Order: sequence, then C-alpha cells, then structure tokens
Amino acid sequence: MAFPIAQRGLLAALILAGVASAVSGSIDPYFLDVVMGVGVSVVLASSLNLINGFTGQFSLGHAGFMALGAYTSAMLSTVVAPRLGWSPALLQWVFFPFSLLVGGLLAAAAGLAVGAPSLRLKGDYLAIVTLGFGEIIRVILQNVDAVGGARGLTGVPTHTNLFWTFGSAALTVYTVWALLNSTHGRGFLAVADDEVAAEAMGLDTTRYKITAFGIGSFFAGIAGGLYAHLKGYLNPGGFSFDKSIEIVVMVILGGMGRHAGVVFAAILLTLLPEGLRELGSRSVPNPFGGAAWSLEWIKDMRMILYSLLLILLMLMRPQGLFHRGERRRQRT
Amino acid sequence: MTEFLQQLLNGVLLGAIYALIALGYTMVYGVLRFINFAHSDVFMLGAFVAWYSVEKLGLPTQSIGGGLMALLLSMSVCAVLGVVIEKLAYKPLRQRSTLTVLITAIGVSLLIQNVAQNSRLGFGPNPRAFPALFPSQQLHFGTLTVSTHQLVVLAVALSLLGLLYWIVHHTRIGTAMRALSFNATAASLVGINNDRIISFTFGLGSALAGAGGVLYAMNYPSIDPLMGTLPGLKAFVAAVLGGIGNLPGAALGGLLIGLVETFVSGTRLSTFRDAIAFGILIAILLFRPAGLLGKLKVEKV
Amino acid sequence: MSTSLLQLSEVTIRFGGLTAVSSVTADVREGELAGLIGPNGAGKTTLFNLITGVYQPTEGRIEFAGAGTAGVKPFHLTERGIARTFQNIRLFPSLSVSDNVRVAFHRHLEHRAWESWLRSRRFHAEEAELQDRTRELLGIFNLERVQDAPAKSLSYGDQRRLEIVRALATGPRLLLLDEPAAGMNPSEKDELMRLIRFVRDRFRLAVLLVEHDMKVVMGICERIHVLEYGRKIAEGSPAEIRADPKVIAAYLGD
Repeated sequence: MAFPIAQRGLLAALILAGVASAVSGSIDPYFLDVVMGVGVSVVLASSLNLINGFTGQFSLGHAGFMALGAYTSAMLSTVVAPRLGWSPALLQWVFFPFSLLVGGLLAAAAGLAVGAPSLRLKGDYLAIVTLGFGEIIRVILQNVDAVGGARGLTGVPTHTNLFWTFGSAALTVYTVWALLNSTHGRGFLAVADDEVAAEAMGLDTTRYKITAFGIGSFFAGIAGGLYAHLKGYLNPGGFSFDKSIEIVVMVILGGMGRHAGVVFAAILLTLLPEGLRELGSRSVPNPFGGAAWSLEWIKDMRMILYSLLLILLMLMRPQGLFHRGERRRQRT
Repeated sequence: MTEFLQQLLNGVLLGAIYALIALGYTMVYGVLRFINFAHSDVFMLGAFVAWYSVEKLGLPTQSIGGGLMALLLSMSVCAVLGVVIEKLAYKPLRQRSTLTVLITAIGVSLLIQNVAQNSRLGFGPNPRAFPALFPSQQLHFGTLTVSTHQLVVLAVALSLLGLLYWIVHHTRIGTAMRALSFNATAASLVGINNDRIISFTFGLGSALAGAGGVLYAMNYPSIDPLMGTLPGLKAFVAAVLGGIGNLPGAALGGLLIGLVETFVSGTRLSTFRDAIAFGILIAILLFRPAGLLGKLKVEKV
Repeated sequence: MSTSLLQLSEVTIRFGGLTAVSSVTADVREGELAGLIGPNGAGKTTLFNLITGVYQPTEGRIEFAGAGTAGVKPFHLTERGIARTFQNIRLFPSLSVSDNVRVAFHRHLEHRAWESWLRSRRFHAEEAELQDRTRELLGIFNLERVQDAPAKSLSYGDQRRLEIVRALATGPRLLLLDEPAAGMNPSEKDELMRLIRFVRDRFRLAVLLVEHDMKVVMGICERIHVLEYGRKIAEGSPAEIRADPKVIAAYLGD
C-alpha cells in the first residue's frame, strides 16, 4: 500500500491549509480570527476526547495544560526569539512551530505527572483532582511576576495563521483517528469500557491511561501555544475552570468517544457564541408595526443560553448529538 | 501570642463557615453519590438575598432582629431553591451515569452565575457592599480585638451545627437520611420515601449554604455573583478532607481548611493560599482518598 | 506424571474482619479439566480473584508454572498464561465482536503504539495478520458471522461463548471459567460441555471451572475441589465427591 487514504487526507489538508494561508491576506480579519479560533477549539476538543472519551477518565483541568503550553511558547517568543536576530519569516515558520512543540512537550510532562498518581481514582474523584491541578496552575501563573502575573503577558507576536491552526487541527484529528483504528487503539476503548476485564485480557491499564493523559495534554499544550500567538496576549483568568468546562461541553455534546461528533461540536460551539453575537446586533421586524425589536438581549444572555443548552442536553440527550449509545457507568 | 490568638479566632470563624458549606456537599453526596456543583452558587445567593432584603425590602441594619430576619429569609429562599433544582435538574437523571449528572450540575451552576451577573435579570457583575446586619462594635478582651460580627458568626454557626446534629441523630427524618446514605434500596424497602428524604436533604444543605453565604458576607462585606466559586471549592476540599459522606468529617475538614488558610495568609506564601487548598485536596486524594474520617469502598469483581 | 501448573499452598485472605478464604491448598495439573464447587458464598470467585492477581493473599503462596504470583499485577499474570471469564459477563460493550477478541491478541504485536501513527509497513502487515487470526478463532466457534456486530447485541449464549474466545486469544495455559453455564438451558449446557472439552483438547490448556450445575461439573471435570465457608472440605474424582458425606452435608445443610 503506497500511501493510504488517511495519510493522503492529512497531506491534502495541509496543502489546503497552506493555500488558504497564502490568500488569507484578502479575507476579512474578523472572519479569519473566528476560523482560527475554530481550529484551536478542534485541537482542544480532540485532545480532551482522547482522555475523556477514549479511556473513560474524566478530566476537568484541561485548561491547565493549555495554559502551560500557551505560556511556555509565549515566553519563548517574547524572551528568547528577540535575542536570536532571525528574520520574521524564519521566526514564523521555524521558531514558532518549535516553540509550539516545546509548549506541547511541557504540557505532556505535566499530563504524565498528573495522570500517574491519579490513576487509582475513579470517576468523580479523578474529576476533582484534575480540577484541582488546573486551578493550581492558574493560581501559580497568576502569582509569578516573571510571566506577567495577574496582569498577564503581552506583546506575543501573532505568528498563528491559517496554516498552523488548520494544520494542527488536521494533525490532531489524524492522530486520534490513527490511534483509534489500530489494535493498540482499541485497547484504549477497552480500558474505558471495563478496566477489570481489560486488565484480565493482559492490557496494562495504567500505561494506557497515562499515555492518554500524556498525548491529550501534549495537544492541549499545542492549542495553548496557537492561542497565545493568535490573541497576542495571555491572561491567567482565561485558563480557569470555566475554560475547562467549555472544552468538556464540546466533548459531551459530540458524544464522548465519537470523534467526528466531537470535531463537529467543537466547530459548532465556537461559532455559536459568535453567531449569537451577530444575531444580537441585528433586529427583528415588529409584526405589529412600530419600531423593530432589537435582539440585543441575546448578547447579554449568551452564557445563560449556553448553560441552559447544557442542562437541556443532559436531560434529553446525554449521549451527545452523535453517539450511538450511552456508555453506562456503574453508580455505586 | 496575641497575634496567634487573633489568627486562631479568625481561622475558627472561617472554618465554621466552610464547615456549613461543606456539610451541604457531604449530605448530598451521602444520599445521592454525586457532587452538587451548584452548591457554591446557592451560597452566593444566600448573601444576595440578605443584601436584597436590606437594600430593597427595607429590613433594618445594625439590629439583631433585622439580622436574624435576613438570615432566616436567606436560608428559606435557598432551601426552596435547592429543592427546586433537585426536582427539575437532578431527579430526572437518577438512573443515568454520574458523568451526566455532574455535567448537569455544572450547567445549573453556570446558569445561576450568569443569571446573577446579568444586568437585566440579576444583580449585574459588579461587586456590592454588604450592609452591617447586626449591631457592630469592637470588643476588647485584653489585647485581643473581637468584633460583634465575629461573635454572631460564631454563635450562628455553632447553633446551626448543633441543630443539624440534633436533626440527624434525634429525629425520624435524620435517621431516614442516614439509612438512605448507607443503602438506598434497603431504605425504600423499609418504607422510607426516598424522594422526599432526598428533597429534604437538598433543602437542608442549601439552607446551610445560604446561612454560610450570609455569615461570609458579614466577615468580608463585598459580594459579587462569582463570590461562591472559590469558597465553594475550598469547602468541597474540606468535605473530601473529612471523608465525603461523613458529616462530622465535613465539620472537621472545614475547620482545618479555615485554620490552614488563615495561618498561611499571615505568611509570605499568602498569595498562594488558594493553591494550598487544592494542594491539600490532591494530597488527600492521593494518600488517603477516604479522607480523615471516611471509609474506603472496595469494588466487587 | 503431569506436574502442577497451578499450586495453591495454605492460601488465606481476610477482608477486615471477614476471612473469605482460609488455608486452601490445591493444585491444577497441566492439561487438566478441574472443577471448583461449593455452596454460595464459599469463596469460589474470591479464589479466582486470588489466582488472577486481583487480590493478594493475606497468607499462603500461589505458584503458577513454577513462579510465585505474589505482588504480580493481573495483566502480567495474563501474560504468563492465566486467562479468565467472569461471573457476570464482562465483554467490552462498545466494541464489536471481533474487536473484543482482537484486543486480547495485542500481546502478539511486535510493533509499538507510535508505529500506528506512522502507519508503517510493519504495522499494516501485523494488523492484517491479527485480523486473520481473529477471524480464524471466531470461525472455530461459529461467531464469524457476527464479527462486526456490537458485542452487546449478541444473544446471551453467544456472549458467554465470546468471552471464552476472547480469553483464548490471550494464549493461556490455564483458563478459569466463572460459572459459564449460568442462565443456560439444558441443550445449551450440553453444547457448553462439548465446547469446554474441545477447547481443552484443541488449545492444550488446563481448565479450572467454577460451576453450580452438577451435571456439567460431574460430566466433564476430571478432578473436583469443594469449598465451604472459605475452606477446602474435599477433593477427588466426580464419583468420590458424589459420595463424600461432607460434601453432601455442605449442600443439603444439617
């Protein structure tokens, strides 16, 4: 088999990303911003899906890994890069991916550090520990002045472009797909389904779970780096529990484990707030004559609608939009 | 020495407040085996109801009667809210996986926070000053300074804890709660109306959270819709520290967390004091997941 | 003279105040078809959990293929050659029938996990081989026709069989079956008895089974161990066990 479909797909996606990036100068910057944001979300959601959906571990601290990647690559760009004296092109095309990688690796190391001791914990407890880790990272970042402290880090060069976001998203999706469609990958799912049985079939469940955490956090770190170089500044408050929840919702909505669904959910949930904001600036014609009704209230209600959506979803279709069946977990 | 005693007092007071909130978490976990993420927002609403009763309903400040009225009002509103949330959002999900309910709880929490932050429907995002509910004076015992507010907090907290103890150990409904937490099936088989006990538990826990909110606001008189997050998380740590599902454990845990936090904030590590609480959480879960007073459950293969 | 594949010596386990298994000494020989019976609560499944490393004995020693099993993790014991099925079927519900088996074959993979990312030639070759082996194994047990169906959609009898097939994929020398006949009708039980004998002969392994159905146990087991309240009270051939007064008393009560 010369060059199988999936890898051809990946290559095509990368080429497409490159082309799109080249012509991005002529695209509306707001639109561009949104699309790149979608790319970042896809990476985040996919990486969490690996941890949550594939090995059944519930992680509520994903934003913490994102933060580590973001700050690491941002620090590299703001502190190390200026001393190199490289040309802007070299910085964007060589240094930047390097800084992303370093950010990802640091986040992965943290993921392994968190995953290893937490493995004995089940369900709720694991969720809480990961929540705790996420918050600790945020508090530390908020209090270390060297990285900007509570005021945040500014002046990050905006290296992120369509190629890097779209490319990273494609790479993440490919990785998850490639893993999933292999015997090793099926092992992940087996561990998620029934750890005891998986262990009895000779699977080192500990190793699988740690690996999932490591790979998942690696990509979260990459997403963080992309995010940092998209916004141009970093605020530790943006990596709080709320952010972790945003990502969790994408995974739940997409149907945990159902990768295509998760990607779709990530896209949907990133566009939705933008869409609502757009809608909020419009107005609806008044059927009874008179002044048009402003939809401005939608802007204020964004998060309210979002949380209502979450509740309704859980009440009516907890398996997400695309999952074929609910993986029932034992309640003690 | 005075410094130490002062800190000790502050720590005990903070600990008592955390204990009240922690009890709510632990009671709900005991009967339903799930963590009510929305609990911290009920705490916040408790403070706001008291604020509202003074600012908008005209309850008098600086008076014992007014203060007690505000407290009772908060507790009642929160109790009702707790029961409503349970009936609408959690009850329909009783048979589903813990994950689903957890997400729903998060959704409810976000909903309450965002409605409260909304300028039209709620209180707006800006912090507000909390009025002095009870008569406030500084009392001096030797070199120690204690405000009457602090004494009230102590008195109310202790009374509520005592009341809870009495309910749980000396009333029929308390026994039913304990039975449910041991074995829900058996409880229903002996004629206990599980649904009603669960509602009662939620109501009781929420009332305590509401009281906690009022007491907290009395000590730190600036309230905002997001004020519940951090104390809520810390109280949760307290519940886990004591052994989740274990009532005395929650009280003990609350006290310990309050003391640790107060003493840490007096040292150079002060800015990291929030992280310390999470550090404790992780340490317990890794080394003694059953908590100080709890018992670990063995999974049957 | 066949040697002991599995040797239990004075094995005891205590859970807090409860002694679930007490001073049990027993062995299973290579290629033997042995049974473990006893009234409910006698400690049979606990013994299985001890053998597979899920529990560690409080006292006593367990040896498999000449090496001790103390402190060895369950998945390592599976690698050494102990496989099991569960009392309440524990298949991987979200995986297909063939995936359930395929996962158990993973030990035979030479390539590392990251090679699946690269999709190397070795990866493809091995995956194809595994696919063949899975299909072959399923075919032996007539499950090939449903190989792509989700495991949970199978009939009860098929699920029980699948669990056995999955255990076989790990390449065991000792197969532990926990109540394989539960919930089966007489003709299914006959089929099961044939299946177990077939498995033992074809795959050249020892089988230890826990079972309540006496017809099955007496019908296929060469040697039977009897537990009561965590203690071993008898051991012998089906004829010997049938006649043993202690066994009769244990089942009928005093």
